[in-house]
Amino acid sequence: MSSASSSLVMLVGLLVTAGCERENHHFSEVPPTATPSASALVVSELQPGPATIAPKIDAPYDDNAYAVSEGKTLFTSMNCSGCHFEGGGGIGPALMDDEWIYGSEPQQIFASIAEGRPNGMPAWEYRLSTQQIWELVSFVRSLSSLNPKGARGGRDDHMMLKPPEVSTPKGKPKTASALPGTQH
Amino acid sequence: MTSAGRRLLHNDSPTPGTLPGSAPELLSEETVLEQARLLDITWRDGGGLWGWLTTVDHKLIARRYVVTAFLMFIAGGIEAAMMRLQLARPENTFLGPDRYNQIFTVHGTTMMFLFAVPIMTAMGLYLVPLMVGARSIAFPRLNAFGYYAYLVGVVFLYVSLFINMGPDAGWTAYVPLSGPQYSPGHRLDVWAQVVTFTEIAALCAAVNIIVTVFKLRAPGISLNRIPLFVWSQLVVSFMIVFAMPAVATASTLQLAADRALSTQWFNPAEGGDALLWQHIFWFFGHPEVYIIFLPGLGFISPIIETFCRRRVFGYLAIVLANITTGFFAFGLWVHHMFATPIPELGQSLFTAASLVIAIPTGVQIFCWLVTLLSGRPRLTTAMIFILGFFITFVNGGLTGVMVASVAFDKQVHDTFFVVAHFHYVLLGGAVMPLFAAFYYWFPKATGRLLDESLGKWHAWLFILGVNVAFFPMHILGLNGMPRRVYTYLASTGWGPLNALSTIGAVVVVISVALFVVNAAMSARVGRPAGANPWDSYGLEWATTSPPPNYNFVNTPIVLGRHPLWDTGSPLPVITGLRADRREVLVTTAFDAEPDYRHRQPNASIWPLFLALCMAEFWIGSIFTPWAVVGGFGLTLLGMLGWGWQSSRQIEVERVDTDLQIIDTV
Repeated sequence: MSSASSSLVMLVGLLVTAGCERENHHFSEVPPTATPSASALVVSELQPGPATIAPKIDAPYDDNAYAVSEGKTLFTSMNCSGCHFEGGGGIGPALMDDEWIYGSEPQQIFASIAEGRPNGMPAWEYRLSTQQIWELVSFVRSLSSLNPKGARGGRDDHMMLKPPEVSTPKGKPKTASALPGTQH
Repeated sequence: MTSAGRRLLHNDSPTPGTLPGSAPELLSEETVLEQARLLDITWRDGGGLWGWLTTVDHKLIARRYVVTAFLMFIAGGIEAAMMRLQLARPENTFLGPDRYNQIFTVHGTTMMFLFAVPIMTAMGLYLVPLMVGARSIAFPRLNAFGYYAYLVGVVFLYVSLFINMGPDAGWTAYVPLSGPQYSPGHRLDVWAQVVTFTEIAALCAAVNIIVTVFKLRAPGISLNRIPLFVWSQLVVSFMIVFAMPAVATASTLQLAADRALSTQWFNPAEGGDALLWQHIFWFFGHPEVYIIFLPGLGFISPIIETFCRRRVFGYLAIVLANITTGFFAFGLWVHHMFATPIPELGQSLFTAASLVIAIPTGVQIFCWLVTLLSGRPRLTTAMIFILGFFITFVNGGLTGVMVASVAFDKQVHDTFFVVAHFHYVLLGGAVMPLFAAFYYWFPKATGRLLDESLGKWHAWLFILGVNVAFFPMHILGLNGMPRRVYTYLASTGWGPLNALSTIGAVVVVISVALFVVNAAMSARVGRPAGANPWDSYGLEWATTSPPPNYNFVNTPIVLGRHPLWDTGSPLPVITGLRADRREVLVTTAFDAEPDYRHRQPNASIWPLFLALCMAEFWIGSIFTPWAVVGGFGLTLLGMLGWGWQSSRQIEVERVDTDLQIIDTV
């Protein structure tokens, strides 16, 4: 009996660690990793002086299913799809291929959304909260399955324009070394 | 079997009969004691933990079932109390919105799927074999399997709630809210699989009860002599067989598939239909209400008869009312959907059906009122609960007729008025009769009586608390307070009535706590009951309290609807079932003439094993498709083991001349 109960405790413990963050619902909070510092936003290795090592920042909501789905809602309601379409790209670049002009690291995507980029990408930091931008970051990453599977969205409740994020094969982002502007 | 015996059993008169003239032999006391000793060895389970896990005794399984389901009632009650505390004043912060959503969803899911249906079928699994004079239930291992499947659902839901993975889309889980886009994560997958487990358990119980009632009745219990509680269980079991597959299909094959496999059942943009969910859910969900309260009504007849010292008025009318209710229950599910765009003709039809179903229920209530008025009622605790049933349930029925009308329903749809209505129906129609049944049959199951003075406190406080908690909700609903909101503004003016409602909830909590204390104490030190403490009439009172593992030393013969009142104790019996192996007497479906001796399986671990395999299959499938592969193999293994054991054990023998009618024991 005691071995059964101890294995039950272990099972519950396992479930807690596996299930907890995925299932949390975060409302209006300052995310654990707030705005990345400027040194974290370096896209290119070309710079004066010796190379600096940028501290890597984890996307706070990559493994949170609710935040990723909120990101999907924001993606539609902020009209991201107006340029990027459903992630396949159109007026703006694609978000689900392996070419990341300004980098695929969470803090790089954050900077792209928050500060905007040349040739049309607006800066959203005056319209969205830090939390909302991080939710968008995790959703954009989920488009190429860069976040854990349990947190990725299933099929949409509208027309099937692309495979659901949960069944998208994992993308292989190229190293973010290309200079800005040299890519399409 | 003598020809005189055949004649006796063909006698379909509802009035008490007499045994045929042939001189009966008497069984000596030594013969009976020796028979009992042998039977006890044959039907005994193994000892220790292994014996506990492998038992297939319907009474042990049903007792666990009742206890587990009652624990679920307490868990659901705690959740209800938490919600009432949150709503006690405007803009309260006791539960946040997310926690509140989980709590009310788990409250509804617990009460409907893990408490109400299981406890009603569990009472049937305990009582039906005793009431029809059978040694055991028809399929003992299936019975054990059903319980373990249910237990898996219970554990899964509550582990999920504690790790913040509790479902949060309401117990009805309407799409698209419960679909993949608006319920990310696994919270709703938990709901879908918990429903599956409980539906499988309910189906196992239903099949068991149907076959037990039709094939294991003691000689003489022709269809027109079946006890009214058994009739209600039979009708409900048929309803389960038709209703439960609908929701199991909807939750597992459609909702879970939409979520995990990206099927499009409920996505209108791709040719699916969101309203389809509501139709399938309520095709199950509405009959479920009757599945819950028909057994409740079934408890009432024997209790009223016993404490009024009078046979129930209108046996035939009550039976027909049961069957009619069961039939109409499948024809009015759309009244939950009047706020959706359904055609007017459909609205009229389902309004009419919803009004019609009040008639058979009314017939039963008037039959009991006549019985009460023409008898000499004794106000025991059980009877107080029956009085509470009349007050509360009739109120709920009246608001039910109100919301059956489309015009009225559109005003109060999804408001607290509906919450008040269905709590009046379910607490009045199911929980109060259930408590009455606890006080009435507790001595049969434990051998000790529940304390009556504590019981009366429990009964009056419960009736008072329920009415104080839920009556204000009618007014709140009419004032526009929507259900399923976690808070409201002070300017709405809903505060005082909500506070009153919370006070009622506190009274209910106190009364149920009194019952728990009473049950815990009485089970140990209560007054010993004896075989028939209420001087009642049913076959279950003809055996000892608690009943031995073989139920009856010899199968009784029944000569009327009220065996112990008609014939007096001891009852005439039929002998000839072997004592050296587990045998039950199979009788014909209509007249209950002896037909076969059927050998039953011994204790077995396979039901538990199969339930665990199934758990691996369904729970694992939420997280990885590989669980389906593994679970399929394991389930196949479990079924092979089960079947291999069956082929060695189960035999059937045509009844021959060695069955004899014996006048008295």
